[in-house]
Amino acid sequence: MDETVAEYIRRTVLKMPRDEIKMMLQKWGFLSEAQLQTLNFHQQKDNISQEVVQLCEENSAGIKQAAALDIIYNHIYQNKRMWSVYQMKKSGEEEEYFDIADFKKKFKGRIRSALKNVTITFKEYEDNAIWIRVAWGTPHKKPNQYKPSYVVYHSQTPYVFISASVLKSNLPLLCQALIVASNYRDIREMELRSHSLNSLKDIVFKRYSQNFQTYSPKPVQGWNVEPENADRRIVHENRSAKERIHRLNQESFGCGPQPKLEFAQYRLDTMFKSDPKMDVLDKKEPFRCLVKFSSPHLLESLKSLTPLGMADAPLSPLLTCITHKARNYFKIREKKESFVSP
Amino acid sequence: QENLDAQKTAFVLRKAWTLYSVTPLYGFRRGRLRDYARLLSAFIAAEKQKGLAVEVGVELDIKVALSSLADLRGSELDQAGLLVQLSSRSRASSRNSEDKLLWSGWFCSMFGDDLSENVPENFTCLPLFLTHGAESYTALVGSWFQKTFDCCFRRLAISPLNLSWMVAMWAGYKLDRAASAVELVFSMPRLSHPLDISYAIHPEDAKALWDTVQKTPGEITQGEVDIFMDCLYAHFHRHFKIHLSAAKLVKVSTGIASAHCDGIVKILHSQYLPGVLMLLTELAISQIQ
Repeated sequence: MDETVAEYIRRTVLKMPRDEIKMMLQKWGFLSEAQLQTLNFHQQKDNISQEVVQLCEENSAGIKQAAALDIIYNHIYQNKRMWSVYQMKKSGEEEEYFDIADFKKKFKGRIRSALKNVTITFKEYEDNAIWIRVAWGTPHKKPNQYKPSYVVYHSQTPYVFISASVLKSNLPLLCQALIVASNYRDIREMELRSHSLNSLKDIVFKRYSQNFQTYSPKPVQGWNVEPENADRRIVHENRSAKERIHRLNQESFGCGPQPKLEFAQYRLDTMFKSDPKMDVLDKKEPFRCLVKFSSPHLLESLKSLTPLGMADAPLSPLLTCITHKARNYFKIREKKESFVSP
Repeated sequence: QENLDAQKTAFVLRKAWTLYSVTPLYGFRRGRLRDYARLLSAFIAAEKQKGLAVEVGVELDIKVALSSLADLRGSELDQAGLLVQLSSRSRASSRNSEDKLLWSGWFCSMFGDDLSENVPENFTCLPLFLTHGAESYTALVGSWFQKTFDCCFRRLAISPLNLSWMVAMWAGYKLDRAASAVELVFSMPRLSHPLDISYAIHPEDAKALWDTVQKTPGEITQGEVDIFMDCLYAHFHRHFKIHLSAAKLVKVSTGIASAHCDGIVKILHSQYLPGVLMLLTELAISQIQ
């Protein structure tokens, strides 16, 4: 077995949490059940990986099998990677029947016609997702297995999710191969990025509960519970205000759970406007800013601001449009009295 | 006061320093630096024996150097700065390899007259202490100084109020070459899903705003800082409807320097070093008094 393949398998196993190694090897299916039985999964990971490499040696593992193991790891730990979303455009013809074999052949063909030293691996999953792993080399160097690009394509949709490797120069070739293989005319990168692949899918496949739900306020109850000397008008104000905020939040965000995004970025190229009495900046040029919001769960976080009084309700459309515009990178310019995002 | 020797102060720049306030040192003698270095070295070796010094490889020999930083002071009334450096030379290595700097800490007073004026003789005022390196070494050096000079160290937190002073002041400084953005980082930690907001403004635009707010050159008032911040809050609110003033300002960053509320600063420009140190000395003194 090639030494580099052995090392790559060893390092891939080392990445796995110890109590998941058996499950991943089983999914891989390259080692027989009998072979897996011989492995002691209770020892140090270093030793486990050495033993796995031994078994792979017995089975003469090649780079193909090693790459398949890497896909399995990355499919389970997909959220460790940063994913960008690309949208493909058809030439306007009828939807053709999707032939997976044809797709693979064309994809490999297109890439290999430009670059011989690549490792291309496919794996299909139950949810109609096709995972593609590409390890890139150069005309003179073998592919770097440690910096592959990942592509996830749902053939019934025009969307592709790409976790590019650091080697960005291969991106154009990757994009070309995708449109050639899928019979599309064009591909463009959307301004939408996240670690949560499922949330990106939720957003572009519109699998989240949409805005504009109607909300019927529950009848106000418990008047009698209020302290006797409380001004009823104040209590009513508070309740109304709370309900109003709740209703506006529902309208902005919908009822269901929000897709999980970690950040949103806004490049502001708008004017600075202030009260003339303050006698401050009155420039004719934009006040250039870059604002970045980050949170483990950005949309839920933004949703919680209005009930706490940290933001006015309804929340700004710049924030509430993230899911239905399917973007989390924005460039905002001034246009008369409202904002435009090109 | 303006031009500190760039070479002597180069070690300060572009490093993240953790800040402490230090009460006056009793019985400190400038002439005994060599002795102190020996004593501190012995102390560290003893602590290592006791197994209390972690992160130190068994083979490492810790060398201690103490030196005066004559340039790091504001006026004649200030004490000169004091630099402590811990280096290692691996005993295992046979060649005369260079010492590796493991940790530095320096005491400083920049226009700290408020403190030194009111202190009895035999006390040395160096209220600001800055460290760079592993926490375990800071603890060792700190304990030795505390025991030897009967002083007290406390982490110097920087309040949002002081951070806003810093960002307003630093945004107004003129920088010749292309400067980095004026960035304010806010945190809303108590939400069920914590939110961080980075608000970065083009340095020319931030300076232009500050220039219209500041009425008297060379002088800054709390009112002016408030107006500057209110302008930034208002611009933000106009777009996002969020009240930034309700969030906690945790970090500010400009081409001059950056500061974090946990008491960590990074100074990028030697030209404004005295100004930054003066502000930090002031904060340290407030914490002591």
